[in-house]
Amino acid sequence: MKRILAVLLVLAMVFSLAACSKEEDKPASNSGNTTNNSSNEGVVSDETATLKLWDIAVPGDGNRPAYDASLKELKVMFPNVTIEEDCTENEAYKPKIKAAVANNEVPDIFFTWAGAFLGDFANAGKVYCLDEELKKYVGNELPESMLGNSTYNGKHYGVPTTMNVVGLFANLDILAQVGYTKIPETKEELFDCCDKLVAKGIIPFGCSGKENWCVTEYLEPIIEKTIGATELNDIFRNGKTWNNAGIATAVDTLQQMIDKGYFDPNGIALGNEEVKANFMAGKYAFYQNGTWNCGDFSDPSKVSFNVTVGEWPVMDASKSSMGQLIGGPSDTIAVSANAPKVAAQFAVEFGRLICHYGYLAGSGLPAWTPYGDTSAVSQLVQTVAGICNKANGYVLFGDNAMSAEDADKYLNYVAKVYGKEIDGAGFVAGLTSELR
Amino acid sequence: MKKKSQKLTIFLFLLPALLLFVGLLISPIIMSIYYSLFEWNGMNSEMNFIGLGNYSEMFSSDLIRFGNALKNSLILAALSVFLQLPFSLALALALGKKIKGERFFLSVYFMPVLISTVVIGQLWLKIYNPDYGIINSALRGLGLLGEKDSILWLGDKDLALGAVFVPTLWQYVGYHMLLLYAGVKSVSPELREAAKLDGATEGQVNRYVVIPSIKPIIKVSVIFAVTGSLKSYDLIYVLTNGGPLQATEVPSTIMIKQLFLSNRYGLGSAMAVMLIALCFFFAILIGFIFKERDIYGKK
Repeated sequence: MKRILAVLLVLAMVFSLAACSKEEDKPASNSGNTTNNSSNEGVVSDETATLKLWDIAVPGDGNRPAYDASLKELKVMFPNVTIEEDCTENEAYKPKIKAAVANNEVPDIFFTWAGAFLGDFANAGKVYCLDEELKKYVGNELPESMLGNSTYNGKHYGVPTTMNVVGLFANLDILAQVGYTKIPETKEELFDCCDKLVAKGIIPFGCSGKENWCVTEYLEPIIEKTIGATELNDIFRNGKTWNNAGIATAVDTLQQMIDKGYFDPNGIALGNEEVKANFMAGKYAFYQNGTWNCGDFSDPSKVSFNVTVGEWPVMDASKSSMGQLIGGPSDTIAVSANAPKVAAQFAVEFGRLICHYGYLAGSGLPAWTPYGDTSAVSQLVQTVAGICNKANGYVLFGDNAMSAEDADKYLNYVAKVYGKEIDGAGFVAGLTSELR
Repeated sequence: MKKKSQKLTIFLFLLPALLLFVGLLISPIIMSIYYSLFEWNGMNSEMNFIGLGNYSEMFSSDLIRFGNALKNSLILAALSVFLQLPFSLALALALGKKIKGERFFLSVYFMPVLISTVVIGQLWLKIYNPDYGIINSALRGLGLLGEKDSILWLGDKDLALGAVFVPTLWQYVGYHMLLLYAGVKSVSPELREAAKLDGATEGQVNRYVVIPSIKPIIKVSVIFAVTGSLKSYDLIYVLTNGGPLQATEVPSTIMIKQLFLSNRYGLGSAMAVMLIALCFFFAILIGFIFKERDIYGKK
């Protein structure tokens, strides 16, 4: 019996070793380990590599179809590259990628937000400079202006994919009930429309209080349409003081709207997906969020009412005007500083394809010049394109524009505004003293 | 000579475990203490020595409110010790009496421990949903809430903390129950019988025989409950992420935000050190309390 057991153990060990040696024959998963194979026609690179990809395109996310289509096409362009993809939900992704960068475990290719978010990584030397890989596209397929948010010290560290702005989505069927056929364009019109909706027992707006960035989707456009895009840009990105009476007025306006019952009181306990689902179920007249939602709202199997998109109405016509938007090219693909060259090539093509397929699927406007048949682009995306064509000022999302430490403090104050713990004066005083 | 060689052998056998212990447990603590003395974003090589500045900021900042988070954790710890553990003990004592369906009930009560915390979080999010959650729907059905009214269990800063604690306590009742059940089962049946022959009721047997016999296990459960409360993170992250208005923040949620959202590795490390110190402190304190009772507490 003992002999049989011994023989079995030896056999098990031999099979284990054999399995281990087979494992070694596989392409190295180490990002730095690449080998050249014979070249094929139509491929961008025939290098062999296994690359780690991290992104936020979880199943069900508006960007998922674009990612799937892009990765499928990239298999032809990079036949010997194996991608190990790891998707994480938006909010959980932020600490995850930062922890990875801090611990020198940066995935070869990863999704990131441009502005200060990527800037921290670039300044720490953790990301790959893509100047050489982007050279052939910049100025023709990729407008230089789209690289501004991912350029640091004159070098490009990210591949922009889609461009998004904050959009005010409206349920036209509900608006028709109070005599409106389009989204209000002035503060007076907006308040009149909301008063009529509230009188009819309809909730005008839904906003998640559980995810602070959702509150900024309301607050930032209100501030922008009160003090103007240039002023807000100077505050967000150029160190101008927060001590601005217009900001306090804008905050008070938002709180006035909350007091008047314009916002779903349950919103403070809900996540963004729940609020979005409520809008799609016809519970709210308006939902203000990124234009990456166009894809979902254009899908008749998900939304059964007439929906349109516009921009937040002008709050102070002496300082702002229609055409001043929050957003810009922020969604970006970046590459680890330690990744092989093929990862950089892959990332550039990946960004270009996400842009293409994302535009077709309605998850945003193209940061790259569109190509191919774009006749199937949804009406909502075309409306957003029209708004952007007429735009006269962009301000990057506040939490993208500021350093990580400042953004966290800023979001903390935004939560206090939505929870009515502080008013406009408190918001201005707090940020003036807290932010560097 | 032989003794020396024996000592060397013992040392060599212990060395791998010692290396693992130092490498995986001691060195991260030492590194955290070191980082906590610096202002550092975790990415750049620039580290600015600020001494105890992070510790001072942790307790003085009105924006971070670490003291408030600590208070929340201590409330959770107190609830664990004074509500969760007595309930677990009651279940363990009841199941330890060889009741019918003992194994079935054991599995049922232990089941929440096996379920992923994220799943439990999602489940309770649905239960607490202001629109269609079972609690609000029941209250509406009973006429205690208007048709269009809602109670914001997770959105009201006065209710959220309690609402978050309910699933936290519920999840680990089965865990403590199992620990205590094992202890109850290990009590000699002769002791029980002897007490009964002396005329003790079932309650008196539990009070004077079973519970004193399982004191070491109760001590372990108390240590786990208190340190687990101080370290609680995952369920709170899923349910509220520390909101609304920081009402449900615990030290771990603040620490993660400072480390990975604000890029403040020095401050985050100081919080980690504080958590470790508190866990050690409470473990020693609980050990001390139970030790005192062993010597003088017998009636």
